[in-house]
Amino acid sequence: MSLLRYVRRLNALQGLQHCRREVSSAPAKSATLKYDQDPQPLFTDSETQRLLQSMTQLQLDKVFRKRTVKDNRSETKFMTNEQLETEFLQIIEKAKHLLKMPPIVKIKQDTERIIAKDPALKDFATTKYVFTDITFGLPHSERKVVVRETDGTLAYASLDTTKRMNQLYFPLEGRKSYTPRMFAYEELLHKCLEEHKYEFVLDRLTVQYEPYETEFHNLSARVFEHLNESKQFDLLRSTRHFGPMAFFYAWHRCIDDLLYDMIRRDYLHNAVELIALTYKIHKIPVEYTETLAKLEALHPTPDESALSELRGFLRRPEEKQGIEQEIHTAIGKTEQDFAADDISLKFIEEYIASEHSLKKVQLELAVQTLKEINLEKLQLFQGLKKAHGVQAS
Amino acid sequence: MSLSPASGIGRFYKHSAKIIRFVRLGCTNRPFYHIVVMERRKNQHQPVIEQVGSYDPLPNDFNERLVALNTERIRFWLGKGAHISDPAAELLGVAGLLPIHPRTYMTAWRNRRKLAEEQAEAAAAGQAESASASA
Repeated sequence: MSLLRYVRRLNALQGLQHCRREVSSAPAKSATLKYDQDPQPLFTDSETQRLLQSMTQLQLDKVFRKRTVKDNRSETKFMTNEQLETEFLQIIEKAKHLLKMPPIVKIKQDTERIIAKDPALKDFATTKYVFTDITFGLPHSERKVVVRETDGTLAYASLDTTKRMNQLYFPLEGRKSYTPRMFAYEELLHKCLEEHKYEFVLDRLTVQYEPYETEFHNLSARVFEHLNESKQFDLLRSTRHFGPMAFFYAWHRCIDDLLYDMIRRDYLHNAVELIALTYKIHKIPVEYTETLAKLEALHPTPDESALSELRGFLRRPEEKQGIEQEIHTAIGKTEQDFAADDISLKFIEEYIASEHSLKKVQLELAVQTLKEINLEKLQLFQGLKKAHGVQAS
Repeated sequence: MSLSPASGIGRFYKHSAKIIRFVRLGCTNRPFYHIVVMERRKNQHQPVIEQVGSYDPLPNDFNERLVALNTERIRFWLGKGAHISDPAAELLGVAGLLPIHPRTYMTAWRNRRKLAEEQAEAAAAGQAESASASA
């Protein structure tokens, strides 16, 4: 019997050593960029939200991609066109719900709130007592947690104790009561970032921490900083983290890489929105509302374009399309798009010429390339129209 | 009347004496208490009227004892005239829900007195040692 126990203990020790070998115990480093003021009023502002949502885009394929969840079943149904139309609207609503951005708020400071001090109670127990109110139906933020210290002071619990108690008595799915190793060890976090698993890290971060916690700010800033260096912005496009990312860059005046990426991918209206957001945040006296209004008139909103994409599947291939539509599908741009591109390019060039842009040469080159491609497309567009005898409107 | 979510299956008379008390659960050498409302005359392991909290008397990793109290229901039952057992009253007093129980004060000063005595003894022993070393 004792031999068995001895063998078991040896095995356990070996397991421990194995764990220790895997990761060095360096704690996660802190980020260099921090919000110096309360970003919340600017972030929740309706105009900012509109800009960020438009920048995020709504690619249905990406929003509803297969995930590693338990139930990935799909359902097949027969529907009339009207039913399908309502279903489309519901799908768009659902996608918008999935793209809701986690808020950016300032870090909440822990304040000591003492309820009562009773020196006669000193040493009444050897440990402190933590009392949690488990009244039914209270939200986590309103749940009261109080602590009676051994010296007889009764005070409201600190923020992390409150969070721990909430998680203990009313657990949230996916949130751990301990710090996940991924966030605790620098090596593991670094590995995640090096493998470009940004969305995974940010998703887990959103589940594990509240937006007002120091760790949330710290780790999300680390992810965004790493992303700004690796320039894989497309990984976050059409996810709920793109908006906070763009806001972060705009706030810290490092939008140039993201801007370059947007120009290269021909998302010019997004580039204009990003620049406008920077102007808005830093109160730079450049008039952008007019340009934005013009672009808005020419460009459909993300949900409109997603809806038209869905409706596109309904059209039968043999159904006769207008010749304009055909030219549009061949080139990928309409007359409106060309007009919008002109306006956006003008705005972007103004920004590049100003002192606010840091990587002028790179951006100028990207704009130049895009202009050439656009010119070719425009010539082709006009040529095709002429050949088909479509009147210029 | 709809039942509250932590209702037990204990049956009770309308005018019988109710009590807020502990029920010892857990196992040998590992106590864990439910704070419940039940008829006063009943044994602790009989069905309860309602559970209103829990108490873990063993300190956790952070060296704290965890108590959960459904304050809304506790106040409801107190308003209905429920009695409180002594340990439960002490705990509610420490929680700040009721005035501090006299027995808590007694424990506190007894602990303090014991600590002071121990310190005095240790000091005396230290002095004696130093005196014998110098002699």
